[in-house]
Amino acid sequence: MEALFLSPDGGVLILGWVYDVLDAVAWMRITGADWRLDLDGPCLARVRRADLPGGLGGAAEIGYFGLGFGDRTIGCAGAAVVEIGLRSGVVLAAEATPSVISGEQIREIALAYIARAHRAGEAQIRTAGYLGHGMGEQLLALNRSIVGRLVASPYLERFGPEVGELAGSIVVCLYGKPEFLFLQAALFSNRPGIGAYEFIYVLNSPELAEAVLNEARSAAAIYGLAISVVVLAGNAGFAAANNVAARVARCGRLLFVNPDVFPKDPNWALRHSAVLLSRPARETTLFGGTLYYDNGSLMHGGMYLDLDVGATFAREQASRWGLLRVEHYGKGAPPDDAEATRPRPVTAVTGAFISVERDWFEALSGFSIDYMLGHYEDADLCLRSLEGGVAPWLHDLKLWHLEGGGGTRQEPHEGAAHVNRWLFTTRWQNAGAAGLLGRNPAHPLLSANA
Amino acid sequence: MKVLLLSLYHPELVRGGAQQVCYELFEALKAKPDVEPVLLCAVDPSFDQLYKSGARITGFDGRPNEFLFLSRDYDGFWHKTSSRLLIESYVEFLLSVRPDVVHFHHFLLFGVDLVTVTRRTLPEARIVFTLHEYIPICAERGQMVRKLDGAQCDHASPVRCHQCQPEHGPERFFLREQWIKRHFEAVDLFTTPSRFMIDLYTRWGLERARLAHVPNGQQNRAGARLAEPPRAKRNRFGFFGQLVDNKGVRVLFEAVDQLRREGFTDFTVEINGDNIAAATSEHRALIEDYLEREAERPAGERLVVMNGSYEVAQLRQRMMRVDWCVVPSVWKEAFGLVISEAWMFGRPVIASDIGAMAERVRHEWNGLLFNAGDAAALAATLRRACTEPALWQALSQHIEAPASDDAMAEDFLKLYR
Repeated sequence: MEALFLSPDGGVLILGWVYDVLDAVAWMRITGADWRLDLDGPCLARVRRADLPGGLGGAAEIGYFGLGFGDRTIGCAGAAVVEIGLRSGVVLAAEATPSVISGEQIREIALAYIARAHRAGEAQIRTAGYLGHGMGEQLLALNRSIVGRLVASPYLERFGPEVGELAGSIVVCLYGKPEFLFLQAALFSNRPGIGAYEFIYVLNSPELAEAVLNEARSAAAIYGLAISVVVLAGNAGFAAANNVAARVARCGRLLFVNPDVFPKDPNWALRHSAVLLSRPARETTLFGGTLYYDNGSLMHGGMYLDLDVGATFAREQASRWGLLRVEHYGKGAPPDDAEATRPRPVTAVTGAFISVERDWFEALSGFSIDYMLGHYEDADLCLRSLEGGVAPWLHDLKLWHLEGGGGTRQEPHEGAAHVNRWLFTTRWQNAGAAGLLGRNPAHPLLSANA
Repeated sequence: MKVLLLSLYHPELVRGGAQQVCYELFEALKAKPDVEPVLLCAVDPSFDQLYKSGARITGFDGRPNEFLFLSRDYDGFWHKTSSRLLIESYVEFLLSVRPDVVHFHHFLLFGVDLVTVTRRTLPEARIVFTLHEYIPICAERGQMVRKLDGAQCDHASPVRCHQCQPEHGPERFFLREQWIKRHFEAVDLFTTPSRFMIDLYTRWGLERARLAHVPNGQQNRAGARLAEPPRAKRNRFGFFGQLVDNKGVRVLFEAVDQLRREGFTDFTVEINGDNIAAATSEHRALIEDYLEREAERPAGERLVVMNGSYEVAQLRQRMMRVDWCVVPSVWKEAFGLVISEAWMFGRPVIASDIGAMAERVRHEWNGLLFNAGDAAALAATLRRACTEPALWQALSQHIEAPASDDAMAEDFLKLYR
């Protein structure tokens, strides 16, 4: 056992390795002063550990990590006893002194471990396998607890002019980069029609609150925009942050916009308002726009689902798995690609820009907060909309999406992407049967107007 | 008419072409009837002794209508101040001064967003912006010289800028351009000291109709032109300017070395200038080593002499010690004040064939041009200048007086109205 972490709110994370190639781990039990965690063997994530001496871990998955979360307060004082039961009946036991950390730190370590395990050669499908054996649910429970705490008391401050009748509330979740606030304020302002929109910035990094509030105050004064800032107590993730911000919006039309999205068309705001006025309600209840890279090529013309199928082998047994993948129509295509940019119903639109009727957004209960940090919650929202009878649409509202420098991301975010893909697949495993797969989905709401 | 001039530094604190021209304009406007110029010079926190506790804008040395903008928290990539209080103080200052014209001579240390602040605060004011170099286009100190190979850059693009500054992705440069252009929307008229800059900025995206050419003017410091005593040889060269990398003094030293290797040593080069602290460490070491080696030579073998920095009042004395003024800059100088200064004293110019040098110096007419950055070409030109009979007289007789400060003020007054 290499580390045992506890969080007072009920998180338990254990990391280590066991050479159980000949006699497999059947269960693990960790016992503390007033708590006990039982994990079945398959609940433990198993990974290769090339870092272990003697080449033991290079080929076999002898590394493990286990996670438990019971939504309760646990006593963290004192030693804990870790027992590992092997199939032969042998029980290994050791005493461990836990390190006490926050729930967020447990989540971060677990996600980073998932990311590292993946990079060490584990297929995503293999990752999904152990998530599906219980660890995924434990992570979700831990995350829900964290998010609930972080969004409980948001701080709100408003700057700029009093708002009159609004055409939309633009909600932006900042990703720890205050500069996007002043850049968006500058580049969205001074354009026809923008005076009918308010901006709501939601900040997941309270340590940046002073800088962001300062920028918002300046930006409101320089550009004459109505800007609100919502500060959360920590990183609640994209979904929860946007949901909180939506609650303080003062308009019945919500626009969820990424901080690295900027208007390409100077008349963008007028066109958005015109779409709302001129198109039937079924085409505007929830819709996205055409997004472009800085190099001029198309970045997004709607999204569709695909399925990756693969098999994994564990203890000489094959398991077949399928994982859903979200793809963009027209990614990297010439900017005038008629097929990708024409107004039409699509399976989903990117969360980088979603315009949605507030009532419908609330009826859908907003973004699902189960998706950690950020990934797949946009497609999930769109599929729930479809399920509710409203197809997402794409309209040709041109915006830049400067989604670049894209090769690397922090380990917790990479781990979260794996967890979210597993979760998305689990939730939408009937996508094929529902006619939601592929570039030309058969779903009646999508095919009728396609 | 009240004209607020915004200058990067005060020329008496930091020497430089842009601030000198702005100050010349300030002085010239003071002499005009019905014009009241006010000068606001940005300084950086290295002048901490001039900062007053709690003040963000303050007076300067007891001079009427001269103020310092005490810059702080400046973001050198986006060119904005992060100090909300500084912006508020600027707004208060505008409302107090109430200028009819706000003439930016730079946005460095102020922040380009102050252009928008000016427009919002004084919707009726005319905003004029003089482009003294290429910082809006080029994030690499506005030099438009490719860091990859030292080549002249003819246009910026997100990927090309990323190649010069690999630590920033292309998208950052894409946004930088959008950001600066957004604030430039508030400018009524841009002026450039050279004509070629109009083409450059038009290609970058500014409307041609918003660009005007106003040559930099200067007070004539030569007085009545003295009759040149006849000299058998015209073999004394002078370099005037800052000793920073792109001024090209290194090219001049390499040319001197080449001539020395060729056995041609019947000439002298005088270096006038300073601000070597602003050079890169590599360039600084090269210049200092060279000058040290030269100083160690026996007097008869010494070709290069370092005179150090000089005040404007010393210009006459320094210029009269040379026959030619060498301007070997390896970047596209926006104007090249030193060319005007040389012409003020009837000195023909030997210059790089790029930027304002190429626009102002007519090859074989009033000066000589050589291939920028090419030490061999400069060496050949220096040798020719020393040895070709009557060349100096032929070129110097075509030198025209450079634009005066008064002419510049008149040009701007037409644009202010």
